[in-house]
Amino acid sequence: MFKKGSTRRNTAILASAVAMLGSLTFAPAQAAQTVKIGVLTDMTGAFGIVGKSNKAVAQFTINEINKSGGVLGRKLVMVLADSATDPAVATQVASKLVNQDKVAVVVGGVASFTRVAIRDVIAKRGKTLYIWPASYEGNECSNNVWNTGSAPNQQVDPVVKHLLSQGKKTFYLAGSDYLYPRNILARVRQVVLAGGGSIVGEEYVPLDMTDPSNLVSKVLASKADALFEVVVLPGTGPFIKGVVDGGFKGTIAGTLFDEGINPIIGKQADGLIGAQDFYLPVTDAFTKATVAKFNKQHPEAAGLFSATFNAPAWYRSIYLWKAAVEKAKSFDTAKVNKAMDSISLKQSIGGPVSFAPGTKHLNLPMYLGKSNADGSNTIVKSLGTIAPYECAKKQ
Amino acid sequence: MSPTVIRGIFDVLSLSSVLILLVIGMAIIVGMMKVFNMCQGELVLLGAVTAFLCGKYLDNLWIGIILAPIVVGLFGLLLERTIIHRFYVNPQGALLATFAIGLIMRESLRTRMSTQSSPVDAPIQSSIDIGGASLPIWRIVIMVVTLLLALAIGTVLLKTNLGMKVRATLDNPDLVSVSGISTKWMYAGTYALGSALSGFAGAMIVPLQTLYPNLGYDNLILMFIAVMIGGLGQFGGPLAGAALIAVPGAILGQFISPVTGQILVVFLAIIFMRFRPVGIFQRGR
Repeated sequence: MFKKGSTRRNTAILASAVAMLGSLTFAPAQAAQTVKIGVLTDMTGAFGIVGKSNKAVAQFTINEINKSGGVLGRKLVMVLADSATDPAVATQVASKLVNQDKVAVVVGGVASFTRVAIRDVIAKRGKTLYIWPASYEGNECSNNVWNTGSAPNQQVDPVVKHLLSQGKKTFYLAGSDYLYPRNILARVRQVVLAGGGSIVGEEYVPLDMTDPSNLVSKVLASKADALFEVVVLPGTGPFIKGVVDGGFKGTIAGTLFDEGINPIIGKQADGLIGAQDFYLPVTDAFTKATVAKFNKQHPEAAGLFSATFNAPAWYRSIYLWKAAVEKAKSFDTAKVNKAMDSISLKQSIGGPVSFAPGTKHLNLPMYLGKSNADGSNTIVKSLGTIAPYECAKKQ
Repeated sequence: MSPTVIRGIFDVLSLSSVLILLVIGMAIIVGMMKVFNMCQGELVLLGAVTAFLCGKYLDNLWIGIILAPIVVGLFGLLLERTIIHRFYVNPQGALLATFAIGLIMRESLRTRMSTQSSPVDAPIQSSIDIGGASLPIWRIVIMVVTLLLALAIGTVLLKTNLGMKVRATLDNPDLVSVSGISTKWMYAGTYALGSALSGFAGAMIVPLQTLYPNLGYDNLILMFIAVMIGGLGQFGGPLAGAALIAVPGAILGQFISPVTGQILVVFLAIIFMRFRPVGIFQRGR
């Protein structure tokens, strides 16, 4: 029999031995139980405000997944990289994510110039999965790259068809002079002409144009029934203000109007139409509950959950990747990449989504929206799920 | 006249008056003082911010328009006494120092703004119908104000005793200082005046655009070209220079694409400077 004192000592020794064992065996196990997600966005520079939203949505989604057990039993860890609205910086931080942090997947980019800068660093040379969570100009079909925002046909076709059905025959196209507006307006032209409408003018302004008076006058002189505009910030507000205050009688449509952008335009936003994968009035139970939870958990980004800030796309990106990993039963890039092609989510912000096989883009539930003077949006109609015309299914 | 023609003429007048208004402050600092003031655009921005804040918190842009030149003028005074005056003997240094000041101002605003850009409503938002064309009254106000301001500042500089002292200081500081005039405060005051005028311009034009960090910087190149065409060492030249690039720019913009128009205007400016390197009004040296 042990003496009382020695029992106590033995217990102490045993306890410290267990603790030592614990520190030896459990710590590596803990590290093995996590997996890193690269979150690359513009925390600073011109798109800093979008980055603020992206970071919050990524953190929110990762927390949500971790709370429900992680992915294949592993907890997700967010590695944030600031691309600073600068493609050169983006390339550097993307390379660090892939080569140093060894992330399993990179989600990120705000503008297409960032995507183009980091795509090969991550997906081609880095052999890591890259998810591009933004509505954009289309044609991104690289290997290991997956697009979770809307493609041009998903945003453009329903709007143009709606305008044509309302008897609008003549269209004026205006945009900033770079790839995104040019590709979007090329799609507009195609759908307008196919639907029996006509294009009465098409004009592009430099990105740094500070006073769009000339363009405003051309639009007013055209007397078009509809103006489809993709003049990006900071030109958007002055341009729309000029056209509206100049007495334009037609309807103004575009791809960049929602609760995120309307306040920047001001009260002249009243009546602007467009199509997005989400507007705040989307009221299915899942969307409503998730957005409410987001606003509560991330007061710093409350009000920044909007389609033009890519919030819904960021949310579903991480869940789509999770579903693909679970289907592949592996974090291996090649296996997850293969699984992605047929992944779907039964519920997500705005409604269920699924990859359209062979397109690298999503079948997306879309909504036709109308902006109001106070910056809010009204849903004109729910458009249902629209298939992407991209990559293998380009039309 | 058709509404399109009326709008066309209006655009030419409006675009020119906006550029001239922007250049008035620069005509004093770069044109007369010959300080290559790379933060001139941010002085415009500071005026715009002042107006924006008054519009937001006091709900009155008029107060902002009155306060902007005072705030920016005082800021200019502070800037001259602390930094700029050290670089009168070192123009290259001034170029870098003012560029840095501009960068700091621009980026500090960017980190503090909660949106990419904010709309500012003009104090007068209605339009007036002339021959079927609906023309915004605020742009007409800017045309009138620009004309009056250019005349007033020009008169003060060229016809008054004070203006003579300013010109004399800039021309020959040593002679002026032995005549018992404080050149130190002459320089500081002139820089402050140029700043105040830029601040005022910022407050006036921000309703036509939106408030965003690059508001002044995006105009800086055109403003510099205006001063180079107009010629250094004087006040009126840069204003004429502004008209000389804004008018063809606005006219070309009505017939060809704005991108081509902008390139063409800069191209014409380069050719002009090749043949008249000292500016519009001065005779060749």
